[in-house]
Amino acid sequence: MEEHEQHARTKRSPSRVIGITIAYLFLIAMCFTCLFPFLWMLLSSVKTPSEMQNSITLTFFSKTPQWDNYLKVFEKQNIFRGLLNTLIVEVGTIPLCVFFSGLSAFAFSKLDMKHKNVHLMIQLSALMIPYACVVLPLYRAYFKLGLVNTLWPLILPSMFGGVSMMFFFIQFQRGIPSAIFEAAKVDGAGYFTQYCVIMLPLMGPAVAAQVIFMFVGNWNDYFAPSLYLTEDRMKTLQVMLKALSSGAKGELPVAFAGAVVSCIPLYVIYLFFQRFFIEGMAISGIKG
Amino acid sequence: MEHERMSAVPEELPPEELSPEGEALLHGEPPRVPKQKSKLKQREHLTALAFISVKYVGLIVFTVLPVFFALLYSLTNYNGIIVSAGGGSFLDRFTSLWNNFKNYTDLFGSVMYSDAFRQAILNNVIFLLGVPLGIVGGLVIAVVLSRDDIIRGSRVFRLLIYVPVVSSAVAMNIIWRYIFDNEYGIVNMMFGLNIPWLTDAAWIKVAIILKEAWGSLGKTMVLCLAALTNVGKDYYEAAELDGAGEITKFLKISVPLITPTLFYLLITGMIGNLQSYVDSDVFANGLPGAQTIVYFIWSFGIRRSYYGIASAASVILTIAILIITEIQFRVQDKWVYSE
Repeated sequence: MEEHEQHARTKRSPSRVIGITIAYLFLIAMCFTCLFPFLWMLLSSVKTPSEMQNSITLTFFSKTPQWDNYLKVFEKQNIFRGLLNTLIVEVGTIPLCVFFSGLSAFAFSKLDMKHKNVHLMIQLSALMIPYACVVLPLYRAYFKLGLVNTLWPLILPSMFGGVSMMFFFIQFQRGIPSAIFEAAKVDGAGYFTQYCVIMLPLMGPAVAAQVIFMFVGNWNDYFAPSLYLTEDRMKTLQVMLKALSSGAKGELPVAFAGAVVSCIPLYVIYLFFQRFFIEGMAISGIKG
Repeated sequence: MEHERMSAVPEELPPEELSPEGEALLHGEPPRVPKQKSKLKQREHLTALAFISVKYVGLIVFTVLPVFFALLYSLTNYNGIIVSAGGGSFLDRFTSLWNNFKNYTDLFGSVMYSDAFRQAILNNVIFLLGVPLGIVGGLVIAVVLSRDDIIRGSRVFRLLIYVPVVSSAVAMNIIWRYIFDNEYGIVNMMFGLNIPWLTDAAWIKVAIILKEAWGSLGKTMVLCLAALTNVGKDYYEAAELDGAGEITKFLKISVPLITPTLFYLLITGMIGNLQSYVDSDVFANGLPGAQTIVYFIWSFGIRRSYYGIASAASVILTIAILIITEIQFRVQDKWVYSE
């Protein structure tokens, strides 16, 4: 260790200092680039239309911040409705998806099954089919069932568990010693009880990571909601945002206020659970 | 069914996992299986199947059947109305609409669709440029951040650079549209340019490529950083002894050793990029120069109810994605074994 530090000290030549400075400048520039759109959105959301959409009167900072842009987005545009619809989708999908993904994963990771690998391959093959391929028949089916302009098309597919979530859980469950389940079996616990009473409580970190992933995914989902939800009162937050932004020209600052509102919950979650985001991503990226 | 023909020895078990009964079988002794155990095993197999059956229902209803119907639609001129009006059995009604592979030839040959479809393919292919750009950017950031012996605060940088990945795509596209605005966009104003980003078919592609690269920086950075920390420090020390500079070390050590990660990012990035829709709809507001294949599917299938032609387009997109996935599997296998 000491040797290493000495090594570093001897190398503190001028060219090295310049190199480090350039590295820092590069990183700061990158951070700025990554944050700029959000900052610009934040600054613009309190501007008047003329401060925002006129090349002569455009300003960086609003002279008289229009805080009521935020009131407008809640009152006039009723963004609460969008928030509520998005939350209904979250609550309607996540618990069942986690439960059934975990249950299938339990069968794959701990139970004996004939042709296990064949079953796993069939399940995983679903990952290769893009949503755009299945969307037209699904749209017809929902249309026939009268489910267009309801939240069901967004909830139903996830209710049976997700493939990538199941795969993630299989990897996690394999790390849990099988001896626990053998012991439970001796005590006469059925497989379903073993899953509910022993496996599920042990899956805490994996479930947390997947719940967060799914929450953010649902929150940001746009393609499917924009197809199925055309009536204002059924729109999720994202679809509502798009409608807001393409509305009357003077309403752009209000749309930006809505965009800020839609981003903040995500940033709060990200700040508190960053470990899950970055580690979960690194793990799934390497293994998947 | 397969699972009901229970035997004590599942055929597909590798030899080292054979149970004592299996061992006996291998050595030619008659199987002496306790009945109780065999029944228990059978119960376990059936329970396992029951557990995954829920997942199978989801798979069949939301993937297998829709894929089947997409293929069927793509061979008909189904437009959503005729089928419901006609009589006869379901298949009869479909066969009356049968038009073989006309949709597929129309996509490339008919005046009605071929312009839009060719344009969509071209746009999609050009947008793919954003993938390598984002990878290069994220890789450079990761390499700088991986030198935690000289760079302080790497956690904060990582946290901030990852922000675009967790941002809502629609919100970001709304703000990007404003940033690139022809009249009062900050890009044009700051650099004193007068570029019609949002209305010119070529410039909007540049904007989308930049935007895509920006959006993927965080993901690339995290995955590359994870891969770089697995590269042994001794490689770098050996190279330093030979007098290698930072750039040489980057090109000759870092990049080759994390090629599998870069390749993974390239493939998943391409697959994601080929399915992009938000760019066309929210950022470009449907400008023809920025319409993607998925936008084509939406615009012809959902909006105009030309299910046949749109399904043919979706089948072509799926095949393209399957080919890319297949390439990934083949190349990855090679790398895994050569390491």
